[in-house]
Amino acid sequence: MKIEEALAWIANVFEEPSDKVNRDTPRDAIQAWDSLGMLTLMSVLDEEFEIFLSEDQVQDMKSVDDILDVLRSHGMLQDG
Amino acid sequence: MEGIFDMTKKPFVDFQGKKVLVSGASSGFGRAICIELSRRGAGLILLGRNEAQLRITAEQVESDDVHLLKLDLTAFSEIYPHIKAISEANGRIYGFCHSAGVVETRPMNAIRIEGLRQMLDVNYLAGIELARAVCRRDVMTEDGGSILFISSVYSHAGAAGQTGYCGSKGALNAAARAMAIELARRRIRVNTLSPGLVRTTMTDEAFSKLSVEQRQKIEDAHPLGIGTPEDVARAAAFMLAPQNRWITGADLVLDGGYLAQ
Repeated sequence: MKIEEALAWIANVFEEPSDKVNRDTPRDAIQAWDSLGMLTLMSVLDEEFEIFLSEDQVQDMKSVDDILDVLRSHGMLQDG
Repeated sequence: MEGIFDMTKKPFVDFQGKKVLVSGASSGFGRAICIELSRRGAGLILLGRNEAQLRITAEQVESDDVHLLKLDLTAFSEIYPHIKAISEANGRIYGFCHSAGVVETRPMNAIRIEGLRQMLDVNYLAGIELARAVCRRDVMTEDGGSILFISSVYSHAGAAGQTGYCGSKGALNAAARAMAIELARRRIRVNTLSPGLVRTTMTDEAFSKLSVEQRQKIEDAHPLGIGTPEDVARAAAFMLAPQNRWITGADLVLDGGYLAQ
């Protein structure tokens, strides 16, 4: 997945328009990224990429860039 | 006191052009609900499988803002893409009324898993998936919305031959309460409406499998007599209306006194 695709994927997970989500977007700028949103993120990472994260790991994510890091570290994101 | 006087000046039910998606819009309750909502100022998205019947509903509604959506509700993966596309093309959706439903009357010893599954698919799972799609932040109006599931008195009371139907409607009521809690933070209300016996094509089909005595017994169990689709439509408009902003997680029983006995 390329960076643009990853950003569109994240926007869809949190039900935001694609143009409102970029690398630097902080968690608190995304309305749906609340406690239930964290559960949503955990479940879609597991279902779609077989990436299993603990609640603590998801809790530590503070921005879109942190999600991109997770995708990158599991070989799901190609930069550039 | 000023608030009370203000209330009398405002319409009781006025959708002010807000769009409502109605499943099962091709007949019965769904068609009557569409007509009532249009009279109350709603834009409509008519959802059903039978395009010819949807067109008949479209001709009867009193609104210029009407869109048809032909969809098989058991094709779950197609629901969100279609809802998303129609909201992108025509504007965000305020409300959803799940009026689509199927019933198969069978005694316990003749129950088929396929029949149970069909009732769960249409009555319950499709309703949840449609609500999920409509409630998405990129689909629903940003200041909240309203979801109404047409349930049944059979979500509260049992009846011979209705194990599957009762189960599917009871599941709907329980799920609606959970959704009401989860979605309150976004000002989305979720309610159910539980009609008793109403004369529609679907209930006529179910009745045709009962004996004359059984049919009479059911009719006699409704002290105010059996209802009409218009009775259901008026109550549905009330529950969906933006003015009723404090009603959520509720079930409105509409049964001519059936459950009061």
